[in-house]
Amino acid sequence: MKQAQDIGTLHILNKAPDHPRFMTCLSSLSDQDTLVLIENAVLALSDADTALPRHTVALEADTEARGLSATVTGAQQISHAQLVELTEHHSRIISW
Amino acid sequence: MTTLIVIDQPPYGSWTGREAMDMLFSLAAFDQPAALLFIGAGVNWLRRSQNASGIGQKTVEKNLSAAPLFGVDRIYAEQAACDRFLPDAGQRVNGVELAPSVKQLLDQHDHVFFAG
Amino acid sequence: MPTLLSYTLVITGAPWSSQAPQTALTFARALIDAGHRLDRLFLYGEGVHLASALSAPPSDEPHWPQEWSAFLTEHRIAGVACIASALRRGLVDEREQARYELSAHNLRAPFQIAGLGEWVDGTLTSDRVMYFHGSA
Repeated sequence: MKQAQDIGTLHILNKAPDHPRFMTCLSSLSDQDTLVLIENAVLALSDADTALPRHTVALEADTEARGLSATVTGAQQISHAQLVELTEHHSRIISW
Repeated sequence: MTTLIVIDQPPYGSWTGREAMDMLFSLAAFDQPAALLFIGAGVNWLRRSQNASGIGQKTVEKNLSAAPLFGVDRIYAEQAACDRFLPDAGQRVNGVELAPSVKQLLDQHDHVFFAG
Repeated sequence: MPTLLSYTLVITGAPWSSQAPQTALTFARALIDAGHRLDRLFLYGEGVHLASALSAPPSDEPHWPQEWSAFLTEHRIAGVACIASALRRGLVDEREQARYELSAHNLRAPFQIAGLGEWVDGTLTSDRVMYFHGSA
């Protein structure tokens, strides 16, 4: 395949912030990795106790569904089409 | 390509871990390199002297002991989770390597699958 | 023009007890729209409930098995339910009904029942393998 590994891993996280796998995911990220919050994981955007890494994006449909879109400041919101683009650019993907 | 199967759920409470083991054995059956990692409460799979007959299940130790026979390369357990749940080496089944860093182990594998 | 890729999607979360089938379907539509190819949908563990022909949610609620089967049929994509996961959970096709002498079969078309080798094949031949888990 054509994609270089050096752009890091794409981590797709769907667990709420109080799920054990949420913290394991956050502590397994490298600087060049990208974190995508989907489903219950988008609640991290409104969680005062969660510090998200720099390269964090959130699936807009999931933030909107949960009434978070207007209050979100910490992460870029992306469409499903943009999620597909992220998977094009990352040959290594982990679904948490 | 090497696959790492990660189990973070304790045994018996659901079938998730057993079904992840089936994936592991399936990779091995097709001669694909595969390793297994237990993290968090999942390390309770590794406790000695389990007896699940009273809850009508087969003991998961038997699944685990089959792993080397099926050609599974390595069985790892998260060090911090073992310190928490199985602090004495004598409490753990044989043949398990302790992993000080989950991140490092994930980084060593091309393909990572979380059970459930 | 980006390179076109092939995908295998694996769903392990069940409809109604997780968002996995819906997230996966929206993602699948987006990847087809982008010109990529979906090699196969593989259902594993609780995910096999998506292949039930007997799900009958209220008419004003989404029907994930129906939506997925329509999508697979329209785009001629293989939908495979893992045989061991399916049999445990009471999802059988005609062949398994006969083999186990069961009273009915309930696998929704175009889903098929097959072994984990289909998943292993996906990991070896598709450019990307994506998992859609439950979130509990």
